[in-house]
Amino acid sequence: MVCAVSGTSGVLRITGDPGGTIHLADGLVTAVETTGAPGPEVLLLRSRRVTESRWDAAFAAAAARGRPLSAELVAREMVGAGELEALLLTAMADAIFVLASGTVDEYRAEPGPSDGGLALEPGADPAGLLAEASRRIKVLMSVPSPPADRRERLVAAPGAVRPGVRLGAGQDEILALADGRRTTRDLAFALGRGVYATTLRLAEMHAAGLLVPASASTASRSARQAGRPAARARQESGDELPRRKGLTGRAVLPRRASAARTPRGLLRPRSNRDDNPG
Amino acid sequence: MPKKKGALVTDDALLAEMEALRERVSGITGSAVASRDGLNIREDTGDLDPDNLAALAATALSLAQRLASEAGQGTLRETVTRSSGGYVVVYAVGARAVLILVGDEGLDITRLHRESRATVESMEKLLV
Repeated sequence: MVCAVSGTSGVLRITGDPGGTIHLADGLVTAVETTGAPGPEVLLLRSRRVTESRWDAAFAAAAARGRPLSAELVAREMVGAGELEALLLTAMADAIFVLASGTVDEYRAEPGPSDGGLALEPGADPAGLLAEASRRIKVLMSVPSPPADRRERLVAAPGAVRPGVRLGAGQDEILALADGRRTTRDLAFALGRGVYATTLRLAEMHAAGLLVPASASTASRSARQAGRPAARARQESGDELPRRKGLTGRAVLPRRASAARTPRGLLRPRSNRDDNPG
Repeated sequence: MPKKKGALVTDDALLAEMEALRERVSGITGSAVASRDGLNIREDTGDLDPDNLAALAATALSLAQRLASEAGQGTLRETVTRSSGGYVVVYAVGARAVLILVGDEGLDITRLHRESRATVESMEKLLV
């Protein structure tokens, strides 16, 4: 990919799972869009760092004046220039990590001007972003308690939520959201945090016995089959937690070494993927 | 839509179709099937109220069809409501039902339009 984008201005469209679009200016990455990771807009709005009404006003004004949205946000003092730069770089690194962890069927470079929405100017070095993605993948592969497979949906473990007991450090929010219907990516969007940071946090909580893969718990499915969402079923029945049957959580955890589950290759087509990135 | 004999089997098949679509398209946070007159048939909507969702989606699809017709733009394919926090997409399932999909800000809408066709077709057969 680095060779493909050297000195290029335009967009690099990546087809795959999740796939996405990388915006480039003079060979530097200015923005990355993917459905697999929350972009800067989600990070700013979900964290309530910026209110929706102010965001909408800035978006409209930027469009009307024909100037970059990032400049408009800074001019309106909604976010500091340094803070915005850090946020854009963080979101970009997360998106590249997600793209590199997924599968790439093909990519296509389209030279020309690009409009990447909230863009980092000047952009980031693609080699540096790939190196960071590789580092993150290695970190996740070395986590003692493997994080859930990215397609796995997570649910609070029996006994993890106790009335009147707060775990703090954002764990209560995660347990409330982990209803057996959300993957790591879904939780990252719901929380307004990066996928990498969310994956690490979920791994910690899994290691602490607070979260289990939904496939290890039959409660959410049985609740849905009864025609009621699991969360509501629990509220109505007064039963605080779904009851797991049979296998322990650990027995059905995704295997870190599983070739099908392990992040493979850094933005290379399947046929040309290196099994030992970095 | 009144429940017929074997309705439970159909309900489970509908749920399986919704779950399969959710596995294929990232960003779907909830889904439901409702009758054209706005009654919930089967849902997997999490904390959202499926009855309200069903009633509003059926109305929205009906309005959109009239709008498309008024504008002389042919057959309605779907309605997409995009908000700051995500999407609500409504597809017609034959002449008698609607498929409602709720997604987050990162919903892969292009893939959804592609993948939902087969789901809608399967559901149409289940609901005959």
